This record gives sequence, C-alpha cells and structure tokens, in this order.
Amino acid sequence: MILFLLAVILPYIVPVFWVHVLTEILIMGLFAASFNMIFGYMGQLTFGHAAYYGVGAYTTGLLMVKANVPLLVCLPLSMLSAGLCAAVLGYFCVKLRGIYFAILTMAFGQLVYYIIFQWYTFTGGDNGLQGIVPPAFLGKAANPYYFFTLIVVAIGMIALWIISESPFGYTMRAIRDNAERTEFIGINIQRYMHLNFIIAAMFAGLAGALWGPFNRSVAPDLCNWQHSGMPVFMAVMGGPFNFLGPLIGSAIYTMLMAFVTSFTEYWPMVSGIVIIVVVLVMPGGLLGLLGDKLPFLRQNGSDTKETNG
Amino acid sequence: MNNIMDDTAKYVLQIERLKKSFGKYTVLTDVSYSLPKGEIAAIIGPNGAGKSTFFNLITGYHLVDGGTIRFMGTEIANWPRHRIARKGISRAFQVSNIYARLTTFENVRQAILTQQKRTLNIFTPAHRLARKNTLDLLEQTGLLPHKDTLAGILSQGDKKKLELALALAGKPELLLLDEPTAGMSSEETHETMQLVKRLNREMGLSILFTEHDISVIFGYARKLSVLYQGTVIAEGTPEEVRNNKEAQKCYLGEEV
Repeated sequence: MILFLLAVILPYIVPVFWVHVLTEILIMGLFAASFNMIFGYMGQLTFGHAAYYGVGAYTTGLLMVKANVPLLVCLPLSMLSAGLCAAVLGYFCVKLRGIYFAILTMAFGQLVYYIIFQWYTFTGGDNGLQGIVPPAFLGKAANPYYFFTLIVVAIGMIALWIISESPFGYTMRAIRDNAERTEFIGINIQRYMHLNFIIAAMFAGLAGALWGPFNRSVAPDLCNWQHSGMPVFMAVMGGPFNFLGPLIGSAIYTMLMAFVTSFTEYWPMVSGIVIIVVVLVMPGGLLGLLGDKLPFLRQNGSDTKETNG
Repeated sequence: MNNIMDDTAKYVLQIERLKKSFGKYTVLTDVSYSLPKGEIAAIIGPNGAGKSTFFNLITGYHLVDGGTIRFMGTEIANWPRHRIARKGISRAFQVSNIYARLTTFENVRQAILTQQKRTLNIFTPAHRLARKNTLDLLEQTGLLPHKDTLAGILSQGDKKKLELALALAGKPELLLLDEPTAGMSSEETHETMQLVKRLNREMGLSILFTEHDISVIFGYARKLSVLYQGTVIAEGTPEEVRNNKEAQKCYLGEEV
C-alpha cells in the first residue's frame, strides 16, 4: 500500500527521465513477478521466460502496427498468445526438473528468439518493429503512459497475488517443498506445473505487451536468453520467497542500471558484482534480509494482508 | 466367478506373485498377500527383507516387475502415484516426508484441500478454506499445539504424527504405515497406536504397517506376516507366528 502511494506521487516530483525509469521498473517488476511464480513458488528455474515476454510484446506490436488494434484489446490478446505458446512448450518442460528444466526452457526460449529474428516478412527480423505509439488518449508525455502502466501492472500483481495465496498457489509451494509427497497425497504434479507455467507466461506476455508502446518499438532481443536472465537477477536480489521481492528487485536493478549507465558503459560488470554480493551476503534477497532483521516484515504465509505493488 | 466376487467384497488388498528386482539384486522374489477389509495387520522382517519395497510397489513409487496388485477389486499395479492415492491408498513414510517450509497447519490443509479436490481453485484465499477440518485433524493427531510451527523444525516424533495426519487427510480406505512410531517416545508410541486402533475400530479403516518394536507389533496387529528374503515365510495371528518355528529362526530368534 505504501509502495502504491509512493508510485502515485513520485512522477510529480522526479524528472521525466526517472518517470521512464519508473515505468520500466513496473513493467520489469510484473515480468519478474510472473517469473517468480515458477522460480519462487514452484521451485524450478526457468531460463526462457523472456520468450513469453517477447511473444506478448510482438503480439501487441504487430496488432497495433499492422492492424491498428486498440492497445486495450491487445493486452488480453498478448496474454492469450503467450499462454498458448507456453501451453505447447511448457508441456515438454514440466516433464523435467532442476537443471534439465532450466536448459529445456532456455532452448525453447532461443527457438522463439530465432524464429522472430529470422522471419523478416512478418516480424521485421533483427530490425524489429517500429512506430508502436500509445493510443491518443494517453498523449505523448511520459506521465500518462506511466499511470496507465501502473494500473495494468497493479491489476496484474493483484491477480498474481490472489493466485499465489489460493489453494493452487499453496499446491505450488507443496510441489516446491516436496514434489514426491505431493504425488502421494493425490496430485498430478505435471498437470499442475504445466498450468502454472501457462499462468506465469500469460503475465509475462502482459508485461511484454506494455513494453512496445512504452519503447515505441520492439526488437527480437526481448526474447533472447540475456533478457531471460533479468528476472532471475531481480527475483534473487529482491527475495524470491516474498511476493513483492521480484518487484523490489526490479526497482533496485533498473535504477542501478539507469544510474550506472549514465557515467560508465561497464554496466554488466557492475551488475555482476552486485549479484555476487547479494548471493554471498543475503541469500534470501533484500526482503529476506529485512525479514531476518525485522521479523514483523516477514510473510508467514497463512495470515498476510499485504496487497499490491 | 462367484468366488472372485466374494473375494473382492472380503479383501481390500489382494496381491499375487509380486516380483521386484533392482538390476541384479532381487528384493521381492514372489510375494502373495491378502488383507481382509477392516483389518489391522503388520508386516515384519529383518532389515532389507523388502518391507519398504513392498509398500513402494503398492503405492506406485516403484514399477512392478511382475504379479498383480488388486485394491478393492481393481488392478492398480503400475498406476501413477497420484491415481493410487485418489483411489484410496494413503501412506505414511518411514523417514518423514513433509513440507518443511510450510507450517504444520498448512501441511495438513494442503492434504485436505487435495482430498476435497479444491486445489485447482485460483481465486479463494487458501486461509479461508478447510479451516475446521484441518483443526479437527490436528487435534485428533495431537498436533494442535504446534499448528503454527514450520514443519521442518518439529521434533522427530511430531514429524511422524504429521506424516500420519497427511495420510489420514486423504480419507483412505487403506492406510499404509511404514514404521509409524520410529523416533517416538514410548508415551507418543502408545498415543499414536491408540489413535490408529481407534480409526480402525470406529471408521473401519484397513491398516497395514511395518514395525520393529515388538510390543507394538504384538500389542496392535491382529494379523502378522513375516517377510524374509523377498517372500512371505509365515503368516497368521500373532500367537501362530510366535509359535512358528521358521519365523522364530529367521527373525524373532531370542527376542521372544
């Protein structure tokens, strides 16, 4: 709630550049939170989540550029296309666990990346798609699109929160903690993992859909494995065992990137050092560390009331 | 035909010529076993006799190499684990197999929600569901004082009680308990076995357990089978087994 108020007030007091950074934090925050449905809640590392983000981004981009479909219609369609993609690819991924799961998701992610990269006539290949403009009612300034993003991301985060606290969400925690036992109490774990994979991909698609109009273009790099690594960093930084962890991680990562790249080009080196420090010093991420020091902040699952970002 | 129908009504579990090997190592050579409905039975035998493997085959943990397993008249050998559980066979593990990072309450609630087929619900907060059933089962198993403790830091005895609670949450017809009292104090052992006995008497639950504790075996089982080198060498009431020469030689030895 405090975060939400902060998010409403900030754009009026910071320069335009930082409003863009805030928009990016929100979009990447939703992306990272959707990734964390698989990582933090289901206990599997996916290294191809950007594929679904990219599919969402391209769905909206193509529909807006080639067919003039309104953005509000594009958003659910992006979720749908990303979800369908995940339904097919995820079917194979959930048969595997651990490192094999990570590798197969990465391989499928690269597959999607190369298809988009090579298919010039449809996706524009490595040129990407240009001229994706936000609808007229959002104008050309930074603030209106920021608030639009804020609303969509807040709805997305609330939806993910509800799912994570539902019996389905707890079944994911059960699979994470002890997949074997979960089978023995009568759950078809592959089916549940597949469903969760699809849900996570749909919200990644929604995040991706917000990116095109924000950046005025989309490029195949959105699907690349480097882009799949970003939510991993964010979730690990913020804390994968806290619902808001990935969003906080996105804020740290994105702000740090904006800050560091303004005076040096060695951003990857800096981010690498930060990750090393986080992993060594606070393995539960920032919120994990705060939870240890300030117990009242800790989420203990059954009776938390915290809502959105 | 009539005969088979009678057997189906009488037995909850009918196993014939069950075989299992791991590579060159044969664990079960030829096991035939029947469990009448509503019975409390124990399987005993020295370490490595194949008791756990026997349970693992019934619950689908391992694939069966040969033979049949009929549960309530349905052939279930090599079914997926979750289908066997849904069909009505619950299991408590020898080494406790719980959700270490969830609380005791959440552990039991998960099993209850699964039994109630509510785990596909993605809208209702889980903490609003199945609260009463969960508390009842925690009370029954003596875990109520620890309901908000993370299951991973429970004492060994309480973890075993939680094992039992998770198995019971599935509302099974047949309960398999793999050394249910290992790691418990004698008082806890007594409480737990009293609960098992009560469940059997009041709800007609069929129970099959393995155990090392002689007092538990002879105090609670009405039928005893001795498993030795992959096959059943003696079977009957505790008295009969106690007096069986072969069983004495292989297992009971000087202990009785």
